Amino acid sequence: MSNEQYDYDVLVIGSGPAGQKSAIQAAKAGQSVAIIERDSLFGGACVHRGTIPSKTLRENALRVKHMRQNAALADFELGEDTEMHTLINRLDEVLKSHDDYMRKQIDRNNVEHIHGRASFVDSHTVKITKVSGETADVSVKIVIIAAGSYPRDPDNIPIDHEHLFDSDSILSMLYLPSSLTVLGGGVIASEYATIFQALGVKVTMIDRYPTPLGFLDSDMTDTFVHAFEDMGGTWMGSQNVEKVYWDGISDVVTECADGTVVRSQKLLCAAGRVANVKGLELENAGLSLNERGLISVDENLCTQVSNIYAAGDVIGPPSLASASMEQGRRAACNALGIEIGTMSQLIPAGIYSIPELSSVGLTEKQAREQHGNILVGTAQFAEVARGQISGNTEGMLKIVADSEGKKILGVMLVGEGSTEVVHIGHMAMLCDANVDIFVESTFNFPTLAEAYRIAALEILSQRPES
Amino acid sequence: MSSQVESLSDALKQLINSGGIEVPMLPEVANKALILAQNPGSDASEMASLIQSDQSLAGHVMRIANSVAYTPMSNLVSLQQAIARLGMAVISEIAIAAASGAKMFNTPGYEEYVADIWRHALATSLWSKEIARYCRSNVEVAFLAGLLHSIGRPAVLQAILDLAEQRNITLTKGEVQQLENTYCQQVSQAVVNSWKMPTLVIDAVSEYTDQNSSLPTGEQTAQITAGARFATHMLKPENLDREILITLPVLTTLNLYQDEVESLLGQTGAVKARLEGLSS
Repeated sequence: MSNEQYDYDVLVIGSGPAGQKSAIQAAKAGQSVAIIERDSLFGGACVHRGTIPSKTLRENALRVKHMRQNAALADFELGEDTEMHTLINRLDEVLKSHDDYMRKQIDRNNVEHIHGRASFVDSHTVKITKVSGETADVSVKIVIIAAGSYPRDPDNIPIDHEHLFDSDSILSMLYLPSSLTVLGGGVIASEYATIFQALGVKVTMIDRYPTPLGFLDSDMTDTFVHAFEDMGGTWMGSQNVEKVYWDGISDVVTECADGTVVRSQKLLCAAGRVANVKGLELENAGLSLNERGLISVDENLCTQVSNIYAAGDVIGPPSLASASMEQGRRAACNALGIEIGTMSQLIPAGIYSIPELSSVGLTEKQAREQHGNILVGTAQFAEVARGQISGNTEGMLKIVADSEGKKILGVMLVGEGSTEVVHIGHMAMLCDANVDIFVESTFNFPTLAEAYRIAALEILSQRPES
Repeated sequence: MSSQVESLSDALKQLINSGGIEVPMLPEVANKALILAQNPGSDASEMASLIQSDQSLAGHVMRIANSVAYTPMSNLVSLQQAIARLGMAVISEIAIAAASGAKMFNTPGYEEYVADIWRHALATSLWSKEIARYCRSNVEVAFLAGLLHSIGRPAVLQAILDLAEQRNITLTKGEVQQLENTYCQQVSQAVVNSWKMPTLVIDAVSEYTDQNSSLPTGEQTAQITAGARFATHMLKPENLDREILITLPVLTTLNLYQDEVESLLGQTGAVKARLEGLSS
């Protein structure tokens, strides 16, 4: 089939961060592009069920926490009747402006928006099924799969979206429960557990691993657990959940293998997410899923079929909106033969729990495994004037450097502001700057950036004498 | 409309505007609540089920639970929350107060009709819940709004029959139905407002209409509208057959694809069993 005979040069499946960026990149390259979204709303789970709604709730949780911290200024307690929609009151506004912005961007770039579901007929033909049941086949030169992910529901957890929720339905709760059990110790579990605890809900976090967020260093997770328990939360690590059920009256009952029983009004199961490929009929295009249920791609984000690319959660970690956007853009560039630089492997990770955590590069543990001797410098937010002024003392920054104390291998932070402050270290690493840059540069005072100088000075003091 | 019916209509309007419409209870439900509350051997979940399966009892329990005597500092927004916060012992006490204090239905000649409304409301609540679950939306709002979506219908019927008796007027079934259709929506809205239901429930019940041609804008209203249609199809398929049901525009509003509608319909057996369990 010659190019002229295709209905579209590029068809993007999914309108989340990866889908949008790939569609816009392809359109900017002069291609005829369509983006197909099964939902009536544009933006994918990130916008409507995940990142944006949870961060909107988090902002209100932080306000509540700050008001409680400042009891001298305001004796504050949330009412028992607080409805969830009150707590995410700005969500409609946020989503509307985000939706407006996205639609304008899509329209401005002449990307056609199709509301329907996609399934492959073959590698160059996609069947579109509208919600009304109408179907149509479209021929396409290039397909970019950016269909996202949905929560994994373990067999032994009877999620009913009424008493037992997953991360896509938790914010549909009508009211703030008095107690919540959170199953899991990953990013989503940690974010929701601390957000609800900050709102005054009695949260119990249960996971089979000894610490939450096990991919981070233990000093980071210890600070996180301490802050969570300080707010009144309970962390139960190394626990295997055997059975979970609704008692038919008022409680969700969680039974652990060691005999511990936890009762709570509601439960959130955050057991990871799986690629949203159901219904795509990938096999018709000659595609198959790998052993992890994901679409395998090469370094160019191309699948095993040469005209089909994939980006975002469907290809697996890091499953960050930020990385997905860049993957989407790169998938389009690679598919169209547009030259681009190598994608940096230095992607910062941000965990929007309370307190926030963020990291870029290697953890201390990874650095020791890969580099042997390393030097580590830390700074507690309590040592930083800005931390004291704002009451943001339960945090720390850590810089990991090579054995010479020069090359920065990684930066990690825990504490409010971490997801922003990490970018100073990120930029230094991207520029291949030495640890000295933090000592030799002048930062605004008072700011949390001062922590970089304190941690860097600690590394400098350990440098081997030459 | 005869002058007698017109004058009754005016009196009914006045009664509604003055907030004088009461929502009666089915005597058998009130009896069951009293028996369960007085039987020390009864399971708390039976009372919880009974309260959640009857629109009038549910509403009265919420109304009393939200009174100053029980929750002076807050307003409970769902039955589940009321049970969790107050405990089943207090809820049983409230159910006794509701069952013994509320007016009982007395609608000679319309018993079967009232039973049908009740059954349809419960079926609507169960279907609305399943639809909300499918849409990852608020299940408790869908259930409560589904249960109460037609609360004005039996209340206004009782008021019409009471007024007719007081005025010694004999109404035809057609006249009763006409009056009921005219005022039921307004009364439903007034009742959920006076019972201080959560905003989402009030909005859904207020926007609900029986008209298939009217498309709801709110998500919850769309869910109870679809729930009511699924209920009609399940209880009286001759009134709404499968072919019409699966092409209803409200399903498009809910972004339910045809296979998802089929999948929902596949739950008919389970919903029917739950309905039987709750109404027995």
